[in-house]
Amino acid sequence: MTATIERTVQTAAVDLRGVGKTFGTGAGAVTALHGIDLQVRPGEFVCLLGASGCGKSTLLNVVAGLEEATTGTVELRTTRPSFMFQEAALLPWLTAGRNVELPLQLAGLGRQARRDRADQLLELVRLDGLGPKRPHELSGGMRQRVSLARALAAATSSGDGDGLLLMDEPFAALDAITRDVLQGELLRVWEATGTTIIFVTHDVREAVRLAQRVVLLSSRPGTIVGEWDDVQDGGPQLYDDITARLRQVITSHAA
Amino acid sequence: MPPEVDIRKDGPRADDSAAAVAGLDALDTPTVVATPWWRRAIVTGLPPIVALLLFVAVWQLVWASAITSEFKVPQPLSVWDAFAEIVVDGSVWSILWTSISRAFIGFAIALLIATPLGLLVAKVKVVRAAIGPLLSGLQSLPSVAWVPAAILWFGLTDATIYFVVLAGSIPSIANGLVAGIDQIPPILPRVGQVLGASGLRSARHILLPASLPGYIAGCKQGWAFSWRSLMAAEIIAAGPLLGFGLGAYLKNGSDLSDMPSVIAAIFLILIVGIGIELLVFRPIERRVLRARGLALGV
Repeated sequence: MTATIERTVQTAAVDLRGVGKTFGTGAGAVTALHGIDLQVRPGEFVCLLGASGCGKSTLLNVVAGLEEATTGTVELRTTRPSFMFQEAALLPWLTAGRNVELPLQLAGLGRQARRDRADQLLELVRLDGLGPKRPHELSGGMRQRVSLARALAAATSSGDGDGLLLMDEPFAALDAITRDVLQGELLRVWEATGTTIIFVTHDVREAVRLAQRVVLLSSRPGTIVGEWDDVQDGGPQLYDDITARLRQVITSHAA
Repeated sequence: MPPEVDIRKDGPRADDSAAAVAGLDALDTPTVVATPWWRRAIVTGLPPIVALLLFVAVWQLVWASAITSEFKVPQPLSVWDAFAEIVVDGSVWSILWTSISRAFIGFAIALLIATPLGLLVAKVKVVRAAIGPLLSGLQSLPSVAWVPAAILWFGLTDATIYFVVLAGSIPSIANGLVAGIDQIPPILPRVGQVLGASGLRSARHILLPASLPGYIAGCKQGWAFSWRSLMAAEIIAAGPLLGFGLGAYLKNGSDLSDMPSVIAAIFLILIVGIGIELLVFRPIERRVLRARGLALGV
C-alpha cells in the first residue's frame, strides 16, 4: 500500500499538499479551502464535485496559478496549465482559427506551424474548415468547442511535459442536448490527446459520466470529504452513492 | 443513470456522435440576413438628400418672400456663385488644404499623446484618481477658451493653432480609450492570462483590441473636437504668419460683410467635418463593430 502511494506521488502530474486559501484577513476573513491533499496522475480525468460555495473554482484557480494558495504547496509536473471557463470567452475580434492560434503565437510558434496546429485542433473538435468564422457566427456549442481547441493548444503549446487542462463547469451554460453531445466529444478528445484533465462540476451525472475519479468537496471551508476511483466501471449504484453523500454534505450546512 | 459512452474513434457510436454534432451545429448556427448594397444605399442615402433639397427650397422661399434684407439672407444661387468663384480661381484647394492638413497633423499628434495617456489613466489607479476627473472636465471646456491664452503664449503662429487643436481633441480621445478599457468584460484579461499573455503582450493582444470600439468612438469625437477647435482658432487668430484656411476665409467674408462667402465657408466647414467622418471614421467603425458581431444593421 505504501509503495503504491509513493509511486503515484512521484509520477503525479498535479501534487497538492495541505493547500488552504483564505480571502481577506482578521475578522472578515473567509476560508475557502482547507487542508486539500490531491494528487492527479498524468493523463487522468478527475472531477471535482461539490455544491456551490465549496471552493471548487477557487481550487482550480489555485492550480492554474490565477490565485495564490495561502498555505500548502502546489506542484505541477506539466506544461503551463490551460483553463476553460463556463463561457467560451473567445476573443470577439479574432476568427475561430486565430483564437486557437493565440496561445501558440504567445508561445512563440511560427505562423505556418501555428496555423497547421490550429487546423488540426479544430478538426479534432469537429470544426473543420470553420476557422475563418467569427465567434458571433457560431452557436454556443460550437464556440465552446473552439474554446476547447484553444485550451488544448495552450496545454500543448510549449512541447515538453504533458498537458494539463483545467475546466470550470464548461458545459453548465449549454442546453441539455448540446451538453450531452459535448460530454461525449470531450471524452473522445481526452482519449485522443491523453491530456490530464481536472474538471469542476456540481452535476453528479456529469461527474460520473466523464471522470475516472470523482473527488467530493464539502463547503465552507472546502475540504475533500470523499473520493471514488474507477468511476467508469461503477454503474448506477455509484451514482446513487455519490448523490447520497453529496446530499449529506449539503444537509450538514442547514443549521 | 449515466448513458454508456463508446469513445472508440471509428466505431458506430463515433459516427453517430459525429452526425449528432453536425446536426446540432446545423440547427444552432445563427443565420445572418444580408441586405443588398443598393437597398442599403437607398435607405441611408436618400433621406439626407431629400432633407437637403427641402432645406434649399425653404431657403429660396424665405429669400423670395423678402422678409429680411438681401444682405442678411442671400439667395442660394449667390452662395453657389461665391463658392464657384473660389473654385474657379483655384484658391479653394489651398484654403481646404491649409485647414485639413492642420486638423490632420493636430489629430495625429493628439492620438500619439492621448493613447498612452488613456492607457495610464485606465490602468494606473493613482493616475486615474489624480487626473481622471480633470480629463473628463476638460471635455466640457470649449477649446475657444484656450485661444486668448495661446496667442499670448505663442503669438500668431501655427503653434497657437496646434495648441488649441490638441487641447480640444486629446481629452476626447483619452476618455474614449478609458471608457473602452473600462467596458472590457473581466473574463477577457483572465483569458489572456491563462493563455500566457502578461504585461505589454496583454495590452497588445487583449487590452487594446478589446477596447477598440470605445477607442474609435473617442477618436471620432476627438476628430470633431479637433476640427471645431481649429475653426475657432483660425477665426480668432488671423495674421500674416498664419496660412489662409477656412476659418480665415470665413472671417474675411464677415469683415467684408460678404454674406454669400460667409455662408459658403460655413457649408465648407460642415462638409469637410461630415465628409471626414463619413469617409474615414464611419467605415473603420463599421468594420470593427461588424467583425465583433455588433451593430449588424449599421
